Amino acid sequence: MNILNKDAPREINYATATFKSTRIMNGHSIEKMPPGQLDVRISHRFGTINSGAYNFFGLDQSNIHLGLEYGILNWLMVGVGRSELEKTFDGFAKFSILRQSSGAKDMPVSVSVVTSIALKTLKVPDQSRTNYFTSRLAYVGQILVARKISQGLSVQLTPSYVHRNLVATELDPNDIFALGAGARLKLTKRISLNGEYYYIANLKTNFSTQIYNPLSVGFDIETGGHVFQLFFTNSLGMTEKQFIGATTGQWKKGDIHFGFNISRVFMLKKHQKPLNN
Amino acid sequence: MKRLLVSLATIAIFSLFFVSCYYDNEEALYPTLNNSCDTTNVTYSSTITPILNSYCTGCHSGSPPSGGITLTSYASVQALASSGMLINALNGNGVPIMPLSGSLSTCRIAQFQIWVRNGMLNN
Repeated sequence: MNILNKDAPREINYATATFKSTRIMNGHSIEKMPPGQLDVRISHRFGTINSGAYNFFGLDQSNIHLGLEYGILNWLMVGVGRSELEKTFDGFAKFSILRQSSGAKDMPVSVSVVTSIALKTLKVPDQSRTNYFTSRLAYVGQILVARKISQGLSVQLTPSYVHRNLVATELDPNDIFALGAGARLKLTKRISLNGEYYYIANLKTNFSTQIYNPLSVGFDIETGGHVFQLFFTNSLGMTEKQFIGATTGQWKKGDIHFGFNISRVFMLKKHQKPLNN
Repeated sequence: MKRLLVSLATIAIFSLFFVSCYYDNEEALYPTLNNSCDTTNVTYSSTITPILNSYCTGCHSGSPPSGGITLTSYASVQALASSGMLINALNGNGVPIMPLSGSLSTCRIAQFQIWVRNGMLNN
């Protein structure tokens, strides 16, 4: 029996499709675009549900984020985007460090690193003061640790660091440390239930405006080349800098935004070699 | 090994962006501007318009303006202020708090209230 085991070449089985999309909802998931594939993302967050029937429960207002994201290598994807909120441009790179696998190589988790930059281009209130370009910048670093526990259940932990070069008052920290947690539960072949939460570690220090932890709950729906993500969230922002440490909505009070992400993938280049190497 | 080197190099290049890291806040960076909350000399042209231009008209202008609300002309601002909607929006009373990205400072809200209380003059 031992001889048999030795002779049979054991394959490495990599975990695939831990999440359906490159985002759990607001934040990044462990998934990346494969090389040569372009992801066009259109995301909306509507107004708050508690704004009442007159505002059609928030649907009269909308905030948009547009993104173009591309897989360069098996372990590297990059993306650029633009948010309506504070007229912000953003760019990110996602590096794959470890991939969950079984068989010849046992690896319990997948690990990726995301670094991103946000550039706020909203006109500065006071033109008479000396305004610095660097004041407009914020940086984000995240480590994504994900595990596909079973065919139906995946979880992810996301320690995150956000640095804002300029904040409003001395009360507001320039550095924010947060721990994100996300999960995906597959309901049917095409639909899954997702949840995502970020715990902000320095929430207790009094910000000049009250900040809450962002929580999002909703569904992923896959239809051919599209992934629709429909959910409810208390954050208006769609990039890390905007929802970690800048979420002013409170679930308890009904400051809940309906939101969706639409992702359409275009294959720009055929694969040169298989993914599993 | 090659892959490790390439990834280290890429991370190094991206970390260069962090070189321009600052720990500033507006109170400390612009002490003269922020410590003085001028509540005695509040006028439409010198106090209200600059705040509107920097925080509000990005969305509330053009066609169509966000929520159907324009804040570029005195007439429309005056109409919103006299209905109470303007101050309600700044405080989040019954409507989503404006600006959506975070409320104005207490000083700026106070300046709006003073302008309204003084009769919403076009001065």
